[in-house]
Amino acid sequence: MPRQQFPADLFGAIRLNVMPTVQMTQHLYRFFPQLENRTITVSAGSVSEVLRAVNEIAPGFADYVLDEHGALRRHVMLSIDDTVVIDRKTLSDRVPDGGTVYIFPALSGG
Amino acid sequence: MELNDTLLLRYSRHILLPDVGVDGQARISGASVLIIGAGGLGCPVALYLGASGVGQLWLADGDTVDLTNLQRQIGHATAAIGENKADSLARSVRAINPEIEVQPIREALSGRALHEVVTAVDLVVDASDNFATRHAVNRACVQLGKPLVSGAAIGFSGQLAVFDTRRAYTPCYHCLFPDQTGEPETRCAEAGVFSPLVGVIGAMQAMEALKYLAQVGELLIGRLLLWDGLQAEARVMKVPHDPACPVCGQAARQAG
Ligand SMILES: [Zn+2]
Repeated sequence: MPRQQFPADLFGAIRLNVMPTVQMTQHLYRFFPQLENRTITVSAGSVSEVLRAVNEIAPGFADYVLDEHGALRRHVMLSIDDTVVIDRKTLSDRVPDGGTVYIFPALSGG
Repeated sequence: MELNDTLLLRYSRHILLPDVGVDGQARISGASVLIIGAGGLGCPVALYLGASGVGQLWLADGDTVDLTNLQRQIGHATAAIGENKADSLARSVRAINPEIEVQPIREALSGRALHEVVTAVDLVVDASDNFATRHAVNRACVQLGKPLVSGAAIGFSGQLAVFDTRRAYTPCYHCLFPDQTGEPETRCAEAGVFSPLVGVIGAMQAMEALKYLAQVGELLIGRLLLWDGLQAEARVMKVPHDPACPVCGQAARQAG
């Protein structure tokens, strides 16, 4: 008798209920050690909302990556699901459930 | 370009590659490339492009070789301390391959001089160490329609991307990294750099440049490669074109 098969969409269904994850390059952990060695999960929402949520875990984080107008500081890069975010000012791009935000610096050394 | 027997032998390991062949090597040998910066990245880029037989190499750098450079800038010998970096690197490239033309430029190219050299070459490699130069080189490449292979490295981390805005809907350097004016930047002199990191990123720049010249493979256009040497992890990002980009966007193209 064949074994019970998982429904084909089971993993898709699970993924839909997973909160977005925020990852960042090592050097940020030096300033925000409370973010290291843990999975950072936040509610789905705009990039701006996601960064504010990280700031709840690590106070000062938003000030570190955002300028006084709430735009990304110029050496700070951010991607959603491995696509670089071009709207650095309003930060209204949506981070979906199951999505991954990655924060990294622009490098200039040679 | 016609390859004689000596050159066919010298470049035989390229020619043996079905993707390159005699035609691909002839394109490499007939090409001219400008390398901005003769430091950590510029050394491996120039040594690989020179060894590969790129017909004409322009090397631009206004700095002189310093003892602290020698840990990673493998195109400079200890005896070259105090000498201009473009001169020193040109000598190392010529020692590997006397069959090509190597032209040192003893200044950090900018303005009109930058425009003139970019006009004259088939491809530009940015191996410089600051955002101001990177943006100036990008503007010249967008205006003159030249491909740009951009690399950067510091600490244990590197970044690599290729730009060619003649391809529709692909980004330029400015789409990816908006102007950095007034922002503090981290320099090797302050932060340190792990020696082979610049070799890894520089070799990948040479790889992309030669792929473009030989017309093989898929270039890193519209993508950004991040290399984390400490974790031994690579990540490739998609990079969209910014329609509002002041350098390559609609308005800039119409004004230009
Ligand atoms: Zn652009």
